[in-house]
Amino acid sequence: MVIILQRVFKYFWYKPCCIILLLLPASLFAQQDTTKKLKEVKISSAIPKLQAITPFQSISSSDFGMYSALTVADAIRDFAGVNIKDYGGIGGIKTASVRGFGANHTGILYDGIAINDAENGQVDLSKLNLNGVQQITLYNAQPDNILTPAQSFASASVIAIKTIQPNLTADKPYEVLLGVNGGSFGLINPYLQWQQRISNRWSFTVNSYLENANGKYKYKNELNDSTQTRNNADVSDQQADGALYWTKNDSNKFNLHVNYYNSDRGLPSAVLPVSHERLWNNNWFLQSGYEHTWDDGLQLLVNAKLSREYTRYRDPDFLNSQGGLDDRYTQRELYQSTALAYHFTSNWEASYSADFSFTDLGASSPIGSIYKYAYPSRFTLLNVLVSKLTLGRWLFQGDLLQTYVNEQVKEGTATPAKNNWSPTLMASFRPLKNNDLQLRAFYKDIFREPTFDEQYFFAINGSRNLKPEYTKQYDLGFTYRKGLEGLLDYLSFTADGYYNKVTNKIVAIPTQNLEITSITNLGKVRIEGTDIGLKTQTKLNNGWRESLSVNYSYQYAVDVDKNTAYYLQQIAYTPKNTVALNAGADYKDMGLYFNQIIASSRYYLGQSNPGIGGDYMNGYAVSDLSFIYKLTIANKRAVFSAHAQNLFNENYVIVRSFPMPGRSYLLSFQITI
Amino acid sequence: MKNLKLSTLISATALSLTLASCHKDKVVKPVTTPVTDGFYVLNQGGYTYNNSSLSFYSYTTKQTTPDIFASANGGGLGDTGNDIEIYGSKMYIVVNYSSYIDVVDPTTAKLIKQIKMFTGSVAREPTNIVFYKGNAYVSSFDGTVAVIDTASLAITKNITVGRNPEQLAIANGKIYVANSGGLDFPNYDNTVSIIDLATQAVTKTLTVVTNPQDVSADANGNVYVLSYGDYNTIGPSLAVIDDNADIVKSQTNFDASTFTVQGDNNGYFITSAGKIGVYNTKTQTISQTNFVTDGTAITTPFSVAVDSSTGEVFVTDAKDYQSNGQVFVFDKTGKKEYAITAGIIPGKIAFLKK
Repeated sequence: MVIILQRVFKYFWYKPCCIILLLLPASLFAQQDTTKKLKEVKISSAIPKLQAITPFQSISSSDFGMYSALTVADAIRDFAGVNIKDYGGIGGIKTASVRGFGANHTGILYDGIAINDAENGQVDLSKLNLNGVQQITLYNAQPDNILTPAQSFASASVIAIKTIQPNLTADKPYEVLLGVNGGSFGLINPYLQWQQRISNRWSFTVNSYLENANGKYKYKNELNDSTQTRNNADVSDQQADGALYWTKNDSNKFNLHVNYYNSDRGLPSAVLPVSHERLWNNNWFLQSGYEHTWDDGLQLLVNAKLSREYTRYRDPDFLNSQGGLDDRYTQRELYQSTALAYHFTSNWEASYSADFSFTDLGASSPIGSIYKYAYPSRFTLLNVLVSKLTLGRWLFQGDLLQTYVNEQVKEGTATPAKNNWSPTLMASFRPLKNNDLQLRAFYKDIFREPTFDEQYFFAINGSRNLKPEYTKQYDLGFTYRKGLEGLLDYLSFTADGYYNKVTNKIVAIPTQNLEITSITNLGKVRIEGTDIGLKTQTKLNNGWRESLSVNYSYQYAVDVDKNTAYYLQQIAYTPKNTVALNAGADYKDMGLYFNQIIASSRYYLGQSNPGIGGDYMNGYAVSDLSFIYKLTIANKRAVFSAHAQNLFNENYVIVRSFPMPGRSYLLSFQITI
Repeated sequence: MKNLKLSTLISATALSLTLASCHKDKVVKPVTTPVTDGFYVLNQGGYTYNNSSLSFYSYTTKQTTPDIFASANGGGLGDTGNDIEIYGSKMYIVVNYSSYIDVVDPTTAKLIKQIKMFTGSVAREPTNIVFYKGNAYVSSFDGTVAVIDTASLAITKNITVGRNPEQLAIANGKIYVANSGGLDFPNYDNTVSIIDLATQAVTKTLTVVTNPQDVSADANGNVYVLSYGDYNTIGPSLAVIDDNADIVKSQTNFDASTFTVQGDNNGYFITSAGKIGVYNTKTQTISQTNFVTDGTAITTPFSVAVDSSTGEVFVTDAKDYQSNGQVFVFDKTGKKEYAITAGIIPGKIAFLKK
């Protein structure tokens, strides 16, 4: 009986959770020079930047090869506090949850502008390839820059992606990068990046990318221990991206960015040996930004974005009388942001930013409209006031974010408009004269809006009137870095302890009676955790250099809703302990890197039931090996790299019923002209 | 320096290799312990979670084995086990979303054969099974009733019925199949197909209220079909069909989420208030709206089964549809005898008799 009811929710669970915008606008505030304050210039560039008022971890394009990374998900998987939910393979969905919060609480910024998915709330990081990406930074709470759109303050954690900006001279006004990746899963991935300087003030970049993979790999069937081949996991995607830059000087910049992404992929089934489900994405966006700094120090940052995402999901095997499911969704967004920052005194800076965003979502299928589809639209207005004060060795920052959300629907009832106030307080202290040690703490109060799916999809009464999920974060930590004299070049160490709470967590529970809402704000989660990171490197010696980076995360995340059967049990898919290690050795132009991730056991239902019929999932340990060789061909710089992923051919699963690939290989070659 | 670098690499590798081999894979070695005299509970599990399981309660030891199928076979049942029946010397488990029927030994739960229900590579999604004279009849969401020879365990025929058929019942040499049309929601089907067992062909189609799912037959020539309605404006309704004339004798609004009748006994149903109701099949009226007489609280009553020989009534409790449920066993006066822990969404029960 419940089978049919659960099929109704199939729409819900199998909804393409990967409707996202791709590359967004180029960097708008790369360096924040003002006439009053010069930015610190580090002399020993080897020591990684550690000191920001919020905890952060960063990876730049020069290091992507060390982690055999092709997508944003690959690049950040070693970060402390990050839990990547990976459905396996090249085309498999990958979402990131940070410090025990769900993936919906992770904001993704692309050159400062948020990638939003109002329908599903989660961004599939496997769709964000690294072509044209300069740096990826994970911030707990928010980025440390205060001249930034208000949306940067609106998530519990933020992954900020910055794209490469042209840095060309009149002598060499162009740079073309041609590359190709290939290897297991039938992967062929050529790409091109062309940077061109037109004049003193104008330049542009063009990025294009083609990827094809058959997605096949062998895995062990957990039910009967037989070896099977992953089927229907092929992916074919293309991307074309162009950005135009106008820079009068450092205080006057403009950019225009246009991006197109198209993909076609198969979706493997969790249960059936053969699946015919397919997912198509066709997205474009247009974005522009303008930054101006006046002589008196007033700074202005204006951004605008227009985007359209089209998703089509097809399941020809769904046993209805229309030959299956064929749902099409179109999400459009119009976004505008204005931010102002001003140094009132030499040690006090304040900023104000206002964003508005209008999003709507339409759906259709060949046979007509989707049952009781709401056609929701949402207007969001964000206002934030930020203040940053430096008092000797102390740095204080505080902000108050106001969010107003108003929704309309064509069918059913809309969620009532609501207003939220979200404060954040941060402080840091450097007790030592040489500034090597920094103590920091922050408190952040933020929420996430229910997604359109949670609010309206198959809501019998038109709307579920869900409230936002509220989060509170308390963090205390320190960073220590030291340039050293002997064998080691530097040592950097960060440690943060945190206490997070989620209330009004949105949970979906099937019930017999569909008239009673089965998606509610009942959940409560408490998270206690630690993020520890260590980075070190030896000095260059006879051409040799070794590096080591270790991250450790401890997450004790429990359900604290007394009404559930698993009160005080670890929440689903959250390992208590994770260690990520990357050790490398360079010799002149060659480098060999070893990456190891170890995650402890998890429970996929959050019931902590280890026995037969329970929800226990093994922990896993995965190793990768990368070899990078920089060479010169006909006076042009080239890089060749070879990677072996899952070196020891582990059978492991991150998401239950979606086994991960065994050992696989990736070869990569690129040349810069 | 060179040595240092090399040793760093070696120790890092050694460390990782040790760590890599540190975790142990959970290996379930099949264990077969013969059982007699008790009942099986088929737990549906979560949809797409692949965690359907089979609990067994032994009357002799008074112990519950949480997943006797996994213990006996070393692997799980699959996804959404929906029906379980013992016929002859074999027990048949219909696993809906994995789309196969596991035929097992009822005394050990060890797999004899897995009948895959596929058309090419497309799953047919079987839901329920009944038996008659050496044949098993299985309804599947692809709109068919498959005829399976219980000796050879091969499909001998496929009979086309309505859309997304659910339960079936045998009465008077015929099979009555409810065609729910649930996957076309909200355009449900509203018919009952009648298959003549002599010809194995559909002879008649009756119209009932929208979304019929539960079908059972009493010992007095009545076939009961509970329609679930459209969860919106059309409420649930019970049709009583005369299995001689093959007409709908009555169709009445009936507040129930499930309805079952076993032989000569009363019919039992679960009301929207979560109470167990009793239907008198002789007088064709509701005789009780709250069968439980000792105040036992059942969080989310999901299904009801009756043991004809003892008159005991078994009510499964799905709790929150995500954690392990329970089965409450009542005597015929509505007093709780005992309760056992079952798996996730405990549904159909099969009685194993000595």
